[in-house]
Amino acid sequence: MVKVVLLCNRATVSLQGDRLMERSDPTKVAILGGGRGGRALLDLLHQIPSIEIVGIADSDPAAPGLQRARELKVPVTTNVPDLISDHGVGLLLDVTGDPEMEAYLHAHKLPTAEILSGSASRLLWKLIQHESKLEAELLHSEKLAGIGSFAAGIAHDINNPLQLILGLAENLTVERDLAAVHEQARDIIEAVKQTSAICRDLTRYSRRASPHGNVMVSVNGKLDEALKIARYASSFHDIEMIKHYQSGAAVTGNPDELLHVLVNLITNAVHAMERRGGTLTLETTLLDGQVGVRISDTGCGIAPDNIPEIFEPFFTTKAPGKGTGLGLYNVKTIINKMHGTIAVDSQIDKGTTVTLTFPNAEPVGQGWPS
Amino acid sequence: MNEFKSGFFVGGEACEGRVLVVDDEPDIRKVVKMTLEKSGYEVIEAENGEKAIDVINSGENRLLLDVVICDIRMPKINGAEAVAYFRSNYPRVPLVVLTGFPDPDMATSFLRQGVVDYLVKPVQGETLRSAVARAIEQRELARL
Repeated sequence: MVKVVLLCNRATVSLQGDRLMERSDPTKVAILGGGRGGRALLDLLHQIPSIEIVGIADSDPAAPGLQRARELKVPVTTNVPDLISDHGVGLLLDVTGDPEMEAYLHAHKLPTAEILSGSASRLLWKLIQHESKLEAELLHSEKLAGIGSFAAGIAHDINNPLQLILGLAENLTVERDLAAVHEQARDIIEAVKQTSAICRDLTRYSRRASPHGNVMVSVNGKLDEALKIARYASSFHDIEMIKHYQSGAAVTGNPDELLHVLVNLITNAVHAMERRGGTLTLETTLLDGQVGVRISDTGCGIAPDNIPEIFEPFFTTKAPGKGTGLGLYNVKTIINKMHGTIAVDSQIDKGTTVTLTFPNAEPVGQGWPS
Repeated sequence: MNEFKSGFFVGGEACEGRVLVVDDEPDIRKVVKMTLEKSGYEVIEAENGEKAIDVINSGENRLLLDVVICDIRMPKINGAEAVAYFRSNYPRVPLVVLTGFPDPDMATSFLRQGVVDYLVKPVQGETLRSAVARAIEQRELARL
């Protein structure tokens, strides 16, 4: 249990408040300890543009935090004195859990560097754990809010086969031609299968993202799965589909979260073409160890003024009740977690292209999970 | 005999009227056609609003079409647009909406535009037949 006392100096806050918000040079941070805590800190801090991680140190070169740092191209060292003598470092984050480390840091740090260690760093670790729980909650609620907009699509896709089933069944009560009876019974069976597939797809999509996390995921398979789901969210009438898939495009990540990202992006693309129809292009590429995923529409485009804001939480141009404003925010969060990037290229009335890039997952000689 | 009755003879059988079914799902057109043909209606089909407008503007349909049964969620010209077109260009042809999505606001708006009935799939043959019969009655009344 960490007990906290909050101390706040009003004068300092009011004097520095505005300037702190606008300060552009990043806070330079060094992380000491590459265990679970170090790794979680790394994952969190590297997503924040105003923080620069100058390095992470651990005596064990195979520590998980150091491995992650190598993936993120953050400098890694087993030499603590080297790291803390770096002149740029403004904050030393000690998550070693080693009481001697704290004393060592106080004795050897540069005068300009501040230290976060002991119970303060344990508190930070707890906040990070809490934050990741909240993030999962947010993701799930945004997904559920989105499913609300599927109602029209689901009703359409269930009631049409039901109409067929009812009509054929009514006819069967009076039909005398045996061949016709057989044919109509087969049509009913097909219609029932079609209807139950809808429920299966939706329950799979609406479940909470599986916690077991990172596995190798085939991007092409996920794109096709996302297309099926996105058809409930918006009408694909008058939309021409083009697919260019590069076989073997695979990434490492949580499959449910990747599906969520793709459903979001495809739905946005289709909504952008709602008025006039257009072409939806899905493309995957594999180049220099990078997997590219491109989702392009020929829709209304995004106003240049809005582009910097689209990943901000609660930003939406949709009518009230039509969007949560959390879609692209969650997309960005998931992509950051997967060590990917997202780029948006848009022209008013011409269309939008969203490009995702991920490190290619190394095939492990087993089947491709879908 | 009512000399204004639009019924005519097809292959020696009495025809109750000519119905245009507009739906993008071939299965729905098939089953609606099956249901209505059993009651003596002649059924013609269109797969979207655009085709429906072509059909009503072609040849004898201009005069002989008795009822239009129209889906809402369709490509090209959707049901709402098609209904608006029919109401302003062929106000004497009664319309029945047959949709997969129950939407009270939309239903009210259609009924205000003079649509005879707003039916939500799945609908029983009997309900469909009585909606069509009522629509034809309205058409007869409009001609008097």
